[in-house]
Amino acid sequence: MFPANRFPSPTLPGVALAIVWMTMAGTCPADDIPSFERDIRPILRAHCLDCHGGSDPFEGNLDLRQVRSMLRGGDSGAALVAGNAGESLVLERIRSGEMPPSTLKVKPEELALLERWVAAGAPTARPEPETIPPGLGITPEEREWWAFRPLFSPTLPAVSRPELVSQPIDAFLLARLEHEGLSFSPSADRATLIRRASFDLLGLPPSAEEVDAFVADPDPAAWEKLVERLLSSPRYGERWGRHWLDAAGYADSAGATQDDPLRPYAWKFRDWVVRALNADMPLDRFLLEQLAGDELVPQPHSQLPPDAIDRLTATGFLRMAADGTTGGGDPESRNRVISDTLAIVSTSLLGLSVGCAQCHDHRYDPIPQSDYYALRAIFEPALDPLAWKAPNERLVSLFTDADRARSAEIEAEAVAASKELEEKQAKAIAAALEKELLKHPEALREQLGTAARTPEQGRTPEQQQLLKERPSVNISPGVLYQYDQAAADELKALGDSIAAIRARKPVEDFLQVLTEPPGHLPQTRIFHRGDHRQPKGEVAPADLEVTGSEGETGLPNDDSSLPTSGRRLAWARRLTSGRHPLLGRAIVNRFWMHHFGRGIVGTPADFGRLGERPTHPELLDWLAVDLADSGWSLKRFHRMVLLSTAWQQASARRPELDAIDADNRLVGRMPVRRLEAEAVRDRILAAAGTLDPTPFGPAVPVIADEAGEFVVKDSLPRRSLWLQQRRSMPVQFLATFDAPSMQTNCDRRTHSTVAGQALLLMNSDFVLRQARSMADTTIAEAGSQAVADDAPPADEAIALASAVHRAWRRAFNRAPDEEEQAASATFLTDELTILRGGAPEIATPAERRSRAMANLCQQLLSSNEFLYVD
Amino acid sequence: MSTEQSPDSSGDRGDRYPRRIPGQSLGRRGFLSHTGFGLGALALADLLRQEGLLANPAKPQFEAPFNDLQARAPHFPPRATAMISLFMHGGPAHMDLTDPKPQLQKLDGMDYGGEVAYSFVNRASKRLLGSPWKFTACGQSGTQISELLPNLQRIADDICLVRSMHTGHNGHEVSIRYFHGGIPAVLGRPTLGSWLTYALGSESRDLPSYMVLVDPEGHPVDGVTNWSSGFMPPLFQGTALRAKEPRIPNLVPPPWLAGPLQNKNLAFLDSLNRRHGQRHPREPDLDARIASYELAARMQLSATDALDISQETAATHRLYGLDDPVTKEYGTRCLIARRLVERGVRFVQLFLGGQPWDNHSNIREGLPAICRRTDKPAAALVQDLKSRGMLDTTLVHWGGEIGRLPVTEGEGSGCGRDHNGQGFSIWMAGGGVKPGIAFGETDEVGHRAVTDVVTPNDWQATVLRLFGLDHERLVYRHDGVEQRLTAGRPARIVDGILA
Repeated sequence: MFPANRFPSPTLPGVALAIVWMTMAGTCPADDIPSFERDIRPILRAHCLDCHGGSDPFEGNLDLRQVRSMLRGGDSGAALVAGNAGESLVLERIRSGEMPPSTLKVKPEELALLERWVAAGAPTARPEPETIPPGLGITPEEREWWAFRPLFSPTLPAVSRPELVSQPIDAFLLARLEHEGLSFSPSADRATLIRRASFDLLGLPPSAEEVDAFVADPDPAAWEKLVERLLSSPRYGERWGRHWLDAAGYADSAGATQDDPLRPYAWKFRDWVVRALNADMPLDRFLLEQLAGDELVPQPHSQLPPDAIDRLTATGFLRMAADGTTGGGDPESRNRVISDTLAIVSTSLLGLSVGCAQCHDHRYDPIPQSDYYALRAIFEPALDPLAWKAPNERLVSLFTDADRARSAEIEAEAVAASKELEEKQAKAIAAALEKELLKHPEALREQLGTAARTPEQGRTPEQQQLLKERPSVNISPGVLYQYDQAAADELKALGDSIAAIRARKPVEDFLQVLTEPPGHLPQTRIFHRGDHRQPKGEVAPADLEVTGSEGETGLPNDDSSLPTSGRRLAWARRLTSGRHPLLGRAIVNRFWMHHFGRGIVGTPADFGRLGERPTHPELLDWLAVDLADSGWSLKRFHRMVLLSTAWQQASARRPELDAIDADNRLVGRMPVRRLEAEAVRDRILAAAGTLDPTPFGPAVPVIADEAGEFVVKDSLPRRSLWLQQRRSMPVQFLATFDAPSMQTNCDRRTHSTVAGQALLLMNSDFVLRQARSMADTTIAEAGSQAVADDAPPADEAIALASAVHRAWRRAFNRAPDEEEQAASATFLTDELTILRGGAPEIATPAERRSRAMANLCQQLLSSNEFLYVD
Repeated sequence: MSTEQSPDSSGDRGDRYPRRIPGQSLGRRGFLSHTGFGLGALALADLLRQEGLLANPAKPQFEAPFNDLQARAPHFPPRATAMISLFMHGGPAHMDLTDPKPQLQKLDGMDYGGEVAYSFVNRASKRLLGSPWKFTACGQSGTQISELLPNLQRIADDICLVRSMHTGHNGHEVSIRYFHGGIPAVLGRPTLGSWLTYALGSESRDLPSYMVLVDPEGHPVDGVTNWSSGFMPPLFQGTALRAKEPRIPNLVPPPWLAGPLQNKNLAFLDSLNRRHGQRHPREPDLDARIASYELAARMQLSATDALDISQETAATHRLYGLDDPVTKEYGTRCLIARRLVERGVRFVQLFLGGQPWDNHSNIREGLPAICRRTDKPAAALVQDLKSRGMLDTTLVHWGGEIGRLPVTEGEGSGCGRDHNGQGFSIWMAGGGVKPGIAFGETDEVGHRAVTDVVTPNDWQATVLRLFGLDHERLVYRHDGVEQRLTAGRPARIVDGILA
């Protein structure tokens, strides 16, 4: 079915076949002569080059970037005597612990390698040039790191059991397993598969009816049909949108300060993501619009047609960073927003945290400090600390001229009505005053009337004193009703009608966007040691140098065809060219992780030397190339994964697999995975039958309950995606099940198992209420069972058998077997017996049956079968 | 339930060494049998053995990763069986608190001649800043302690002060991760508490073995990863109590559900889970969740009791400073820590929020303030443990991840001190450390540790030794690699501080 080829491909050197997942520098095989460029420089880079090579001037005049300059030496003489490890100063200093001055010392095995290299005559892989430009530069060896190599489309490896290869990805996985003497696990059964697929693609369970229909479907294409049905469900975008929002660091508040101000329009970006994924927007477009959607929309941003609104909304991605600049902020907090934005962009799109290079050249990866600021220069025209937009200045109004005209028209109407009201009010007060004055001595009346009629600010001290003595003549609109109820009522009705007029105005709606002022081209400077108060040399916008050949990574400073600089647009186009080594690998790795529980690279936000190596580097590259070449369709990617043999494997552990690969990195089975926080809550709502599927719109508010725990206001049973994500108010249920708190963003979820989760499921108001709803629904659905109020508990339990059956189907999407039905009856009998002895309000037949049934439902909702997908 | 057994039938519990809680009238087992709480019988170890999940208990120690909390014997007879760590992250200024430097006082205001390792180069200065506070020789031992810590002065003869700590890194995160996980800057490794729990299991079936008491001001740097179990199963991660009441959310069921009904519920749930587990044998996360329900059920009883400080006398309340709004919060947590250890919790760690020891500026006000908040409760904890005979087997640790520089940061009255991972102090008490000593030295101005330098790896190896564990033999195999707390890095047992 697929062309067979040798494995491993000879064009991918360095693909280790032994199960070594994470190796650092210094792994030169013992029988090999180390070379400077491949083996030695990475050690020096990590420990020495910051001062002896990267700095200007070099510390002690010593430059360790080349063997040539080491031989030349510095203030203390030659650093290196080729062939003589004993007399080489650099080794002596390392051995004595004098160097490096930090306690992050050179490791013994690294020192041994250095010694071996010196003893071998300090060889280099190639002749060194006489002079090299300042800085650490990037060596050919560093460019050879797996993540930076050009994307490459390997041919599919040969396998000994080709019948197990349903999709290309199977060939890569199976070849690797076979190399270890292993193979795939058998396929999971159909009921397991539909549950797994529903949670994977929708984050929700299938109904028991859907399971039955699929299990019984005789169509040979039943599985393909199911996958298509799930992919076309609107719930799909909600599930996969949540994954992307993790990477984007989505929150409904700004964080960074104690106030944690709300971002009332952030949800529009969330909705945009969900809609884009549901529409299977090509991913190149999806990413391009998030990075530069504003540059695709003509300025000024007014009178916006729908597609322009969408593109601007997409830039909400670049407004997700925590932000303490409400009211403008200081340089520190503005620069913090910029560095957090770069952190989000780089970890989500590049699989790298470039933050290390903010202060100095990266110690392990070939990311010079200048690269960090070149990336920053891409964003600087829009994120300029010297021309900062405070949060409320980032809003684009969606008002059209028609809206404005309509609004003005209504306002004029309201103003006219107000005038009428004021006149009537003045008349009524004057009349009331005349009447009131009669109650005062005649001699005072004129004086009093004048004082009362004089506007408050214009009254003389005598008038003020007079009115203080006789306050009843000081009639304000607020107290008019005490003098003339009828007039006050009339005025109130008039006031209400004015409010009603104004309420007819179109509501001004906003987007939270990132835009660039036209023609704004600020300078970007390298900050010495990352300190914004110490700007140094200027840098031009560019992609990371290591992602392209020399001189090829620069970006235009200003695109003359656009009002804006066009820098983000140019970078976005470069990233989505289909051959960007980091973007391609980073995004397919992320999607893979969501399907299989862990990425091909276990550290999705760190593809550098401190991260993990890919378990299947060829597969990773193949996926990245395939995604781009086939039109960037994420749904196609899902289809390929779900139709693979690998994804359909059973999840049971196998001893032979565990012996070699207990963490299942080779995917010799599917993992048993706990549902994510949102999916646990959503599944509970679905099982209870209370889930409100209404999509989109402003975030569902979260409040603090009496105990100070953060809960959903009015317990609205909307899907968890729609709940407000205020950084300082994490919903207790979700946080307990490891929902991220969004300091910056979340590159992968953790899955803890702690007693707090158990207590939540045992005792929380939320779970108890949902269990009760589920019980009452199942009892109602089962219909009335003829059982006397005073029937023995066992008979009551039998009468609930049909409800039990339904509860089982709701919770587990399958019917209970006989043993489970019997155990449930025993359980209910026991509970009903206890409940009969309880307080009178509990002991009524209907109440006790409902409570016993609720307890049964609660245990189903708390069980491993419910919380895990196999 | 077929697993009903008497609570005392849980098999070998590793009670090879004397237990440390004298005078507790109602012991753990007694407590459970008194309440007749059926779930007490569902000991995880029993359960796992029935399921064939537990390796033969007779197997030598540390052969394979354990996946349970059964109490285990250490390599050697232990001195400490529990630890309370008062983690003072942020970088307490040792030259103002615990490490007097006459030369620094002399050179106050002058430029330092040596090299300084700064964190914030832009605010760097070489001008030495003498301590504004006086030191006094305290107790029989004569250990010099600053007037900022009057209560610590009073227990000088009970503590082992280490003045020569050294991480080599000035950054908070780098050094915090070093202290917790064994490698500078590397996140995601099991923490000291995880290693102890993994190695020794739990002495309490009613409470998590590893508990964390966080500050109402918020989480420390790195948040919850300060008590993560890294690559070990989640069974070994720390359980954080809320900073305010209710300290454990959802601890108590509504009255109608409490008692027999909830017991029935949990027994039914357990049978569901075990049936499910038969389809997924050896799945650690599923087993851990079964255990988490049992723990939760027992916590309902024992945690309520452990957290109820109203059971303590008025004198104890005063000792910890609960009568003073300044010390009340931290004092309450110290007292809770003692009550937890009393009930068999192995490792308790207290954190502070907002890095109050990170006195970059305004040290003249900031440092006394945090001392006032913590000094009395910390000293009270040592005194209280001692008077209850618990100090011998309970190791108390007080310390941050770094100290501070002898030079000034900023000018004038608002000045402070920058980070210093080159030399700083911590203190310990009880659990087999030598009382009444000051160990190690920094240089004449307090910048670098120069005599008897102790790294976090040395400290970890030493703490493990106090617990009867050999840091080189305490291994967790993860993906074919033998992992250790000290990560194969140089680590020595600091003999000089062992009693």
